[in-house]
Amino acid sequence: MTGSLIILQPGHSVVTDLGRTRGPAYGLPVNGALDQYSAKAANILAGNDDNDPLLELTALDFRMRATTDVLIAVTGAPLDLTVGGRECPQWEPVSVRAGEVVAVRGIRTGLRAYIAVHGSFTVPSLLGSCAPDTVVGFGLKLAEGFPLETQKTTAPITQPHFGLPLFRLDLTKPAFTTNPVIDVTDGPDVAEFGETADLLFTTQYTVSPRSNHIGLRLGGALPERQLTSEVLSRGVPVGAIEVPSREELLVLHRGRGVTAGYPVLAVVTSRSLDLLAQARPGHTVSFRKTTVAEATATHRTACLELDRLRNTINTVFGLLGIGAGQRWYELSPASGA
Amino acid sequence: MATPTTTSRTRLDIYESGDAALRVVARSGDAEANWTTVHSLAGWLATAGIDGLRGAVPTYDSVLVEFDPYLTSARQVRAFVLLAMRQLDFVGTTLREPRRFEVPVVYGADYGPDLERVAEHQGLDVEDVIARHTAKTYVIRCLGAPAGSPMMDGPDFPVPVPRLKDPRLSVPSGAVSVAGRQAVIAPAVAPGGWCVIGQTPLTVLDAAREPLVPYVPGDELRFYRIPADRFGSFAGQFLEAQP
Repeated sequence: MTGSLIILQPGHSVVTDLGRTRGPAYGLPVNGALDQYSAKAANILAGNDDNDPLLELTALDFRMRATTDVLIAVTGAPLDLTVGGRECPQWEPVSVRAGEVVAVRGIRTGLRAYIAVHGSFTVPSLLGSCAPDTVVGFGLKLAEGFPLETQKTTAPITQPHFGLPLFRLDLTKPAFTTNPVIDVTDGPDVAEFGETADLLFTTQYTVSPRSNHIGLRLGGALPERQLTSEVLSRGVPVGAIEVPSREELLVLHRGRGVTAGYPVLAVVTSRSLDLLAQARPGHTVSFRKTTVAEATATHRTACLELDRLRNTINTVFGLLGIGAGQRWYELSPASGA
Repeated sequence: MATPTTTSRTRLDIYESGDAALRVVARSGDAEANWTTVHSLAGWLATAGIDGLRGAVPTYDSVLVEFDPYLTSARQVRAFVLLAMRQLDFVGTTLREPRRFEVPVVYGADYGPDLERVAEHQGLDVEDVIARHTAKTYVIRCLGAPAGSPMMDGPDFPVPVPRLKDPRLSVPSGAVSVAGRQAVIAPAVAPGGWCVIGQTPLTVLDAAREPLVPYVPGDELRFYRIPADRFGSFAGQFLEAQP
C-alpha cells in the first residue's frame, strides 16, 4: 500500500539520491547527496537501496506528517528528532504512526541531515537520477503542503519495555566537528603553484557564506599560480581545489560545472568530501596531504562499514518481517556496464 | 603527481586527480590529433563495460575519467586507458560521421549586448564581425558548462576576445557568445563572462529528451543571421540536426 508524507515545514529540503553519474559525460554536474556516507547510511538504516531517493535537509528546521505508518531513519549532522512529540534517536530506524509529525530541529555542528523512508518515494528522474539540478531547472520543489508519495507502509515496531532502544546496530557514526581536517591529494597542476602550494597545508581557512553545493569558498592565505598562460577547458573532478580569485580558495563539490579552465591545485578525497559537505560558514578547515592509495583505502574502509551495517539491517529486518533491500545480484548492471 | 606514459604512437600524460578520477592528456603537438585521440578514448571507455567506471569527459586535449574507488582504482583505470590506446593505435581513432546543425541568430542590440564592444576591440565594423561569425562551419569540440554547451573554436577574428571584467549574473538561454578563440551557445540560463553577440530563438536544451542536447562532439554547426522581427516565429522550436 502506498501512502504519503505531507510537508509541513520544508525549511531547505530536497529529494535527492547519490547523484547523476551519467551527467558529466553530457555536461551536467553529478549533484546528489553532498554527504554521501550519511545518505547511504540513512537508506541502509531504512532498509532501502543505497541510491534510493531520500530527503536532504540543509541547515533549517523541517517538519512533515505521515498519512500512513512508515519507517524512517535520520542521519547526518547532530540534531533534535521528534516523532509525534517523542524524542527519537538519530542513526537508527524509527517507526512513525499514521498521523504523527516528524520534526527535525536544531541541526548543529554540521550542516546537512538526511531522512530516508522505508520503500522510498515516487519521484521523477533525469538521466537515471532524481537529484535536483539548478542549472537545468530539474528537481522536485518541496513546499508547505506538498504530498510526497511513499511506496510502502511499515507497521510500527515497538519495544514494549520501558522504551529501551529498539536496535543495537553498533554503527560507527562519523564524528562532526567545527574545524575538520580535510585530506587532499596533489592536483594534476600542483607544479604550477611552485612553493606557494605548501600554503594549503599551513593555513587555517574559514568557510565563506557564499559556499553552496557547487563549491565551498574558503578565506585564508592563498597559493598563487606562477604561470600566466591560458588553460584549455578540461574536465575537473568533484573535490578539485582551485584559486580563481585573489580573495578565496574554491573547493568544487558535487554541483560543480563539469569543465573549467582553472589549474587544479589539489583534490579532496572522496571521504573528506563528506566532511566538507558538513562545513558551515564560519567553520575553520585545514588540509592534510595524503596519497591516492591511502585515500582509496580510507574510502573502502567506510564502504565496508556500510556493508556491515547493511548485513545487520538485512538480518534484523528479515527477522521482523520487513522487506529488506535487494541483493547486489538483483540490481541493474553496474554503472558503465 | 604526473606520471608520463608513452604508448606506441600517441604520447599521453596520465595524472592522478583525486581518488576517483584521472586526467589523461594527449601530447602529440597537433591540436586536431589530440582532440581526436581524447574523444576516441572517451568513446572506447564509455562502451568497454568496465565495472566501476562512471564516465569520461573529453574536452580539447584531455579527458577526465571518473570512477568509483570502491569498485576499481586509479591503478586499474590507468591500465584500461593504456589498453584503450593500444587498441586505438591498432584500429585507428575514428569518430562517427558528423551531423550538421543550422542556427538562426539575431545579432546585436538587446540580443547581443556585447557585439559593438567586440567589433571595436577587433578593429572591425559590426557587419564584418557578423559576416565572420556566420562564415565558418564550426566543429563542436566538447560539451561544456552549463548544461552541455557546445564548445567550438571561434570565428576567424584578428585577435582573441577578452572576457567581460564583470561576468553577468544571468545570461539567457540561446545566447550566442565568443571569448578567447572560442564560440558557444548557452543551452540554459546561467551566469557568464563571455561576450554575448547574439541570441538564437531555438531551444537547445530539452530536459524531456535524453541526452538533453541534440549534438555530440564532432558534429558541425553554422550560424545564419535573421532579423529581430523573425525571432518570435521560431518560438518553441528545438535545435535539430539537418536531415
